[in-house]
Amino acid sequence: MGKSFSGKLICGVALSVALGAAGFAVPAAAATLRMAWSQDATGLDPHKQTAFSSLRLLELIYEPLVRLDDALKIVPALAQSWEFSQDSKTLTFKLDPDATFQNGDKVTSADVKASFERLMAEETGAAARANFLSIASIDTPDETTVVFNLSQPDVPLLTAMTNINAAVVPASEIAAGTIGTKAIGSGPFKLDKWEPNAKEVLSANKDWAGGETSIDGIDISVLPDETAILAALRAKQVDFALINDPLVATLVPNEAGLRLDRTPVLNYHVLQLNPSRTPMTELGVRQAISCAVDRQDVLDTALLGEGKVTGPLTMPAYAIDPSQLFCYERDLDKAKQLMADAGYADGFSATVIAATGEPPTAAAEAQVLQSQLAEIGIKLDIKLMELNVYVDTWLKGDFDMAVALNGGRADPYSMYNRYWTKAGNLQKVANYIDDTLDDLMQQGRVESDPEKRREIFAAFEKHLAEVSPWIWLYTSYSYTAQQNNVEGFVPTPTGSLFGLSKVSVAK
Amino acid sequence: MNYLTRRLVTFPLVMLGVSVLVFISIRLVPGDAITAMLGTEAGLLTPEQRAALEAYFGIDQSWPVQYGRWLLGALKGDLGISVTFGKPVLDVILERFPLTLELALLSMAIALLIGLPAGVFAATRNEKPSDLGVRIFAMIGQSTPNFVVGLLLIYILSVGFGVLPVMGAFTPLFQDPLENLGQLILPALTLGFAFAASVTRIARSAMLDVLSEDYVRTARSKGAPAMSVLWRHALPNALIPVVTLSGVEFGYLLGGAVIVEQIFALPGLGRMVLDAILQRDYALVQGSVLFIALNFMIVNLLVDLAYAMLDPRIRLGDR
Amino acid sequence: MRILRAIFTHPSGRIGGTIVGLYLVVAILGALGFTPHDPLMQFRIDRLQAPDAVHWMGTDLFGRDVASRLMVGISQSFVVAFASVALAASAGVVLGLAAAWSGKGWDGLIMRIMDVLLAFPAILLALLIIAVVGPGTWTSVMAIAIVYTPIFTRVVRGPALSLKTRDFVDAARTFGSSRYYILTRHLMLNLVAPLTVQVTLALAWALLTEAGLSFLGLGTQPPASSLGLMLSDSRNLMEMAPWLLVFPGLAIMIGILGFNLLGDALRDILDPKTRRVAA
Repeated sequence: MGKSFSGKLICGVALSVALGAAGFAVPAAAATLRMAWSQDATGLDPHKQTAFSSLRLLELIYEPLVRLDDALKIVPALAQSWEFSQDSKTLTFKLDPDATFQNGDKVTSADVKASFERLMAEETGAAARANFLSIASIDTPDETTVVFNLSQPDVPLLTAMTNINAAVVPASEIAAGTIGTKAIGSGPFKLDKWEPNAKEVLSANKDWAGGETSIDGIDISVLPDETAILAALRAKQVDFALINDPLVATLVPNEAGLRLDRTPVLNYHVLQLNPSRTPMTELGVRQAISCAVDRQDVLDTALLGEGKVTGPLTMPAYAIDPSQLFCYERDLDKAKQLMADAGYADGFSATVIAATGEPPTAAAEAQVLQSQLAEIGIKLDIKLMELNVYVDTWLKGDFDMAVALNGGRADPYSMYNRYWTKAGNLQKVANYIDDTLDDLMQQGRVESDPEKRREIFAAFEKHLAEVSPWIWLYTSYSYTAQQNNVEGFVPTPTGSLFGLSKVSVAK
Repeated sequence: MNYLTRRLVTFPLVMLGVSVLVFISIRLVPGDAITAMLGTEAGLLTPEQRAALEAYFGIDQSWPVQYGRWLLGALKGDLGISVTFGKPVLDVILERFPLTLELALLSMAIALLIGLPAGVFAATRNEKPSDLGVRIFAMIGQSTPNFVVGLLLIYILSVGFGVLPVMGAFTPLFQDPLENLGQLILPALTLGFAFAASVTRIARSAMLDVLSEDYVRTARSKGAPAMSVLWRHALPNALIPVVTLSGVEFGYLLGGAVIVEQIFALPGLGRMVLDAILQRDYALVQGSVLFIALNFMIVNLLVDLAYAMLDPRIRLGDR
Repeated sequence: MRILRAIFTHPSGRIGGTIVGLYLVVAILGALGFTPHDPLMQFRIDRLQAPDAVHWMGTDLFGRDVASRLMVGISQSFVVAFASVALAASAGVVLGLAAAWSGKGWDGLIMRIMDVLLAFPAILLALLIIAVVGPGTWTSVMAIAIVYTPIFTRVVRGPALSLKTRDFVDAARTFGSSRYYILTRHLMLNLVAPLTVQVTLALAWALLTEAGLSFLGLGTQPPASSLGLMLSDSRNLMEMAPWLLVFPGLAIMIGILGFNLLGDALRDILDPKTRRVAA
């Protein structure tokens, strides 16, 4: 590869000529999509990687059994069809008989079984394992049939299987121990080359069972500074780009020839309180904070209004109108009253942690929150930390408050069982649980009637907002910027770039 | 060359110090390769899963054991495996080094090409308006943070002219020299701008010193042509501090230019080490810091030797 | 007083001295709270306003007054620069003199440790220190100080070594002056010139380093402001609100210009015969 641009000269611009014009590009007519993002994947093992940036890459190479479409409906991927048994305790998949891995082997039920067994094995160290604990055993009656036997009814399991963390990998590669060093999937693109934090070269997988891709491949460049991504788009050096920072994204539409797509995502911005630390132990104090925060104002300032105020549930199928939730309209008098009733009329001091650059707006959010909470006498001290230090601190629950951007899921149970159930793995981070929350979560897990599920989770959401262990703020957008000649990209709320398999580049 | 042998003897000692310092400091930073890979999802791991991953990343042993193993390997030329690249650390470094080396050379070339003539010119026009002009320009160069220069360059080129070098890639010099130059010219200009400013200032003041020395005045009074005095007699002596400065600066640049590489998305050493720190790729951090330190010391040794060659009056004994 | 007068008769000294003096006044005013507006007050409905009569330098993303933040930022940057250079210079003087004065063993040890610090890539050293301790004003000060200590140590040790062998020190010794007296009186006097020059240069560098650290998110922590932080915060708003880049940018440039000019003047005044070699 490497001929992402032809060395044509641009004349007329004295400066560019003076700078040695051969290094400067004109829009390439190649059907290779030139793409840029600021954060690179951190690894190639689909079972282990959990960073958004890694998932984005791996979704192009590997396939799960089922995937989510742009309306978050479950649609076929490797599996053509699936069925829950009457008691919701067995889940049966029929595989696409045409599906092949990029090494030429057929995708068989044995590969599915081996993949899930690898995912479940403790020595793999797959964080996603927690979502699949209900799988008791896997049967493979024939080459294209897989049966999951569950230890208890688990409706959200199917949604969990749409994640690329549940990708099917070749059993032969598992045996050879090369998962994570070689990327051999069954997806629309093959990874030809990966230089971490610099670039990826992908080529179209001609044998992909999902159809034909209309581009020959994707060249991905890692441009860590998003201003540089915008500059590269303007100079028509990049056809398609992912942008994280709303401050940069909002500049894209001003540019003729460029298009910005914004998709509401499931991830949510939140101010996490730590209810195990005084005075956040007091319900009144937590509620006062909820009433004192003007969510729309934080959104308007820190993200230039690029987002939507949300309650705990961010998926459209379950989310209820935020105005029905506790104190979503700012009420300073009520906040002050609650503070006084809890014995903190004079306020208190607390430290809020935030990660530098993750999200890019974290520091700004913390500063607006600081100024809003100052109005009810809460003095916030902001501590910005490098992402890894932040994660370490966060996992230990070692904070008074934390500004966070947490991942959302299409199913409320998979999204929150880690925090708001008694057995949740991240209880030490959430530090709050009550019987109502735990009961509602367990009911939602086993209920398969959609209408009843919605009622259960609406009650869950209202209760969660009212006991205010965290202050849910808003969801933002995922941005893709592109040249106008790139056609057919369909973004999804999960942020997946799988839509690139349908993209074409007009000459 | 008593001095040289003494330097060579202390070389390994300093390297040992660097190795201990980098080994300890990177481990004192909270978070490890597991949290770097999994982020907050790391909280979903069971203790058994965590132990398995620690063994996988080679961080399950005690520090002295890890250090011992690493040091023994390093002595045999094996700096370990980078967990992010899945390749031997030395291979990763050597892939990135040509860019860093070229960028450093190019910046130095730009700095010397602009700075030396400007400095000499200013010295001959001491305290005249043109001297002041050069000095003010040099000071602006020295006082502008390079991320401002870089971002402005990118902004002006992309918005004003709609052109920009291809970013995020690096074509080796011998594969396509023009493309290679196109990729490096903006970052080199950014780095060279401040570098040229320092060279200008040093060259100017060194030149002024030399011009006031007896032998130059003698040459002048004997009627030697002004130009010949300037270039033949004065410049060689004025070069000494310029060489020192350029050498030291070059030594720093060989360590990678983190911020400029970040802005121009260049896969050089600086950004590699920064990413390695952020991703807690211990082996890569250790190996590359060791490599950078070694380069720095070699360059400094060469500068000292050049210094001695240019100025025989200086004995290297007491430095 | 004599030095002050000398500075003001020197052409670059006059400009440099005036700039630095002005900055000091602004910094003190900023630190004492004499700013046009509260630098932390968020006038959120007025955010991202271009400069006008109320907000002379416009407002930032939060509607905070840029002029006020600039004043406070200057004092913050000065605190970081002065404190780190003072720390580095004192450590350098102590270590450099100790190395020069004590025997071979200590000299070797101290200088090798300095070599280790010098060979360690500076920005990475600062980065690691900050990552371990956590970012903050005093961490930045520490980090910058540690990076510059070896340079000061070298600057002091060189002249100290050659002075040690010179006659007047020997003479003082034979006349029975105490070790302490020799050290302070003679050596310090003869070290003032190179040190002063190094200090003004280092101040300029410290301002730049602070800006660089803030660019990487490791310098001054919000909502406090420093010139570097203001500049790095402005980068993604450069097109929407250029004044956020222009004013702090100019402030840094002119400030460093001031230090450099003052340094040049001091070099001329304190020791006209010094080789004009800056480290």
